Amino acid sequence: MDLNFTEKQQEFQKEVRDFLDKNLDTKVSEKVRNGISISKSESEDWHKKLNNKGWLAGPWPEEFGGQDWGVVEKFIFEEECGASGAPRIVPFGVGMLAPVLMKFGSDEQRKHWLPRMLNGEDWWCQGYSEPGSGSDLASLKTTAVKENDCYIVNGQKTWTTFAQHANMIFCLVRTSNEGKPQEGISFLLMDMNSPGIEVRPIITLDGSHEVNEIFFSDVKVPLENLVGEENKGWTYAKYLLTHERTGNANVAISKRKIKKLRRLASETKKNGTALVNDPLFASRLAQIEINLQNLEITNLRTLSSVENGEAPGAESSIIKILGSEIEQDIDNLTRKSLGKRAFINEPDAFSVGYNGPEIEPKAAATASGKYFNHRKKSIYAGSNEIQKNIISKMMLNL
Amino acid sequence: MDLKPSPERQILFDTLTKYFENEYKIADRNTAAHSELGYSKEAWERMRDLGILESLIVPELNGFGGTPLDISAVFEALGRGLVVEPFLETGLVSTKILSKGNESQKKLVADLLENIALPTFCHSENDTDYRKSYVKTKLVPDKEGNFLVTGEKVMIKNASGASHLIITCRSSGDYADEKGITIACIPSNRSGVDIKSFSSIDGGRVSDIRLENVAVLKTEIIGNDGKGFEIISEAIDFGILAICSEALGIMEKIKELTLDYLKTRKQFGVPIGKFQALQHRMAQLLVEIEQARSAVVNATINFFDSNERSSVISAAKFSIGKIGMLVAEESIQLHGGMGMTWEYDLGHYAKRLVLIDHEFGDEDFHLQKYIELQ
Repeated sequence: MDLNFTEKQQEFQKEVRDFLDKNLDTKVSEKVRNGISISKSESEDWHKKLNNKGWLAGPWPEEFGGQDWGVVEKFIFEEECGASGAPRIVPFGVGMLAPVLMKFGSDEQRKHWLPRMLNGEDWWCQGYSEPGSGSDLASLKTTAVKENDCYIVNGQKTWTTFAQHANMIFCLVRTSNEGKPQEGISFLLMDMNSPGIEVRPIITLDGSHEVNEIFFSDVKVPLENLVGEENKGWTYAKYLLTHERTGNANVAISKRKIKKLRRLASETKKNGTALVNDPLFASRLAQIEINLQNLEITNLRTLSSVENGEAPGAESSIIKILGSEIEQDIDNLTRKSLGKRAFINEPDAFSVGYNGPEIEPKAAATASGKYFNHRKKSIYAGSNEIQKNIISKMMLNL
Repeated sequence: MDLKPSPERQILFDTLTKYFENEYKIADRNTAAHSELGYSKEAWERMRDLGILESLIVPELNGFGGTPLDISAVFEALGRGLVVEPFLETGLVSTKILSKGNESQKKLVADLLENIALPTFCHSENDTDYRKSYVKTKLVPDKEGNFLVTGEKVMIKNASGASHLIITCRSSGDYADEKGITIACIPSNRSGVDIKSFSSIDGGRVSDIRLENVAVLKTEIIGNDGKGFEIISEAIDFGILAICSEALGIMEKIKELTLDYLKTRKQFGVPIGKFQALQHRMAQLLVEIEQARSAVVNATINFFDSNERSSVISAAKFSIGKIGMLVAEESIQLHGGMGMTWEYDLGHYAKRLVLIDHEFGDEDFHLQKYIELQ
């Protein structure tokens, strides 16, 4: 058994580190480290830098402008980005839609949409969940009816991340009511500027705006925007979801956050001694660190079996559960470690125009907000309950 | 044995609960809670007219309550209503301290009832050291027999709108000694007082207060010089009892919201409450909330037992901290995305419930204190 990287992989790791050193804007990474949403233009700038290096879509095949990265290279890249506080690549286009187009799309669709993802012409969002269809996604009701040269779409999507930035959306829509609900779903690409589309913000409990509702009324969509075959959308969606759930370990991000928490706790005094030496606190911290170490190995074990040709199955569900819970545990302990300072909620403290009183430690400005915001991690991308259903079915045959 | 509340207190609780349900809308509450003042003056006045303040104050000071049983019943109702107005720091803890003062300080309680004064309690000096005796703010005598106060208070609730500040000071001894603590009550506009305020995640405002050679008259000292610890200790214990009861009210409300959601939200063709995995989690919440209620009852009935009070108060605050977080997190998870939204009430209850653990000592602090006391 060998969980070490090869020499070539180590060189790549160093190359990524050097690149991040030179190219990552410290203002942006400070925001990322403190859980502040970065602006659309900050995201686009970062995408541009990565694209110039050829790393915006590293896992893509070379013929489409990628680097043919294997799972280990992808892992190394994401971990180094996470450790340094680089913004996440907005996944909806390059990470989610692209694999679907490559596998199920037409030549024209690949030729048209893939380059636009790389050069930043399109910002994609994902239209899956509906008010009545969350965990039970297959019950979705948004309809697309063929009429002459287009589909007419009516319905509503919800929890749509960054729809406020997007000019394109890929949607699951109902094209048939025959047979099982899964058998009447199609996969459609839509222009967000089409007449009949309305986006309304959903503000989350911490006061931030990441997700939206989208309303469709008689929206015309050209027939060529159908991906693959009509009524086969469920297959494509499942394929996409496996992609969404890999890379959810976030080991490097969690390591970075643990390190920061440890530093915070050693600079904080509780009853005259450093908080980090308080037995109850130390026990909480140690348990999270041990869980994280275990997850790191679990994740590498999964990667190594994928590298050796085994398909990722329910393992991605194990990692999604653990990754989300460990991150939530760290956010929880960070909030606790701040004591009374955790009351503060001033996310603007990281903006240029902030003129309120200074906050020390600065992390306190967003720590509680982040703790509440990150409760979403065990809910989104298939709730952890749904992941347990998948494990029960696929791994335990229950 | 009868551990039920008396009929009068049950009526008080029911009346307040009904009032908040009908008249205190969470959306309006949120607007006020995140405003410059941090609460609604108008709602405060309406609730004052209702007699909520009087129910926290003993008859000798023109109230009609003030016992642990009254306080627990009222704060449970305030919790259910998610009331952000300053009943805890001003209505309860400040009046308990002022009741030990001289005639003009007692008159401040009357002024509060008349709505012409709004004192608040300024005690904490360290974010993570929750010891009641942690006081560094220096009080030194001047030549005229009055005093000068210099120091810093941190994360004080509702200081920005207060008319008077009740400040704990050190006149002798080391920073965590129980002896040598002196309490002063001064108008908040006194020269040398600098208040910096922040938005609080659970609503309201929190402030850091810098005191620089602030003049204190000898008539502005509450109780005896150096003997303030016992006064604040009891007042803070009242505060802990109140905040635990508030948490209980929040948890009961969260339980109702979540149960309602489990019964009405349908996925896979059935209400999600039909899934056994979720039934067991909801049942566990009920079990835990019953334990939380017992912790609060235990603290309430033993409050005046001097051998027991510290222990039952710490046991209650520990239980509330631990169970509160579980209830907040589980209820959000059982709601899915809905629990994450600003528009829906649950998240606001969950925020307050979690942050209650950061007030008057968290679960770890009180667990350690409980261990020391055995």
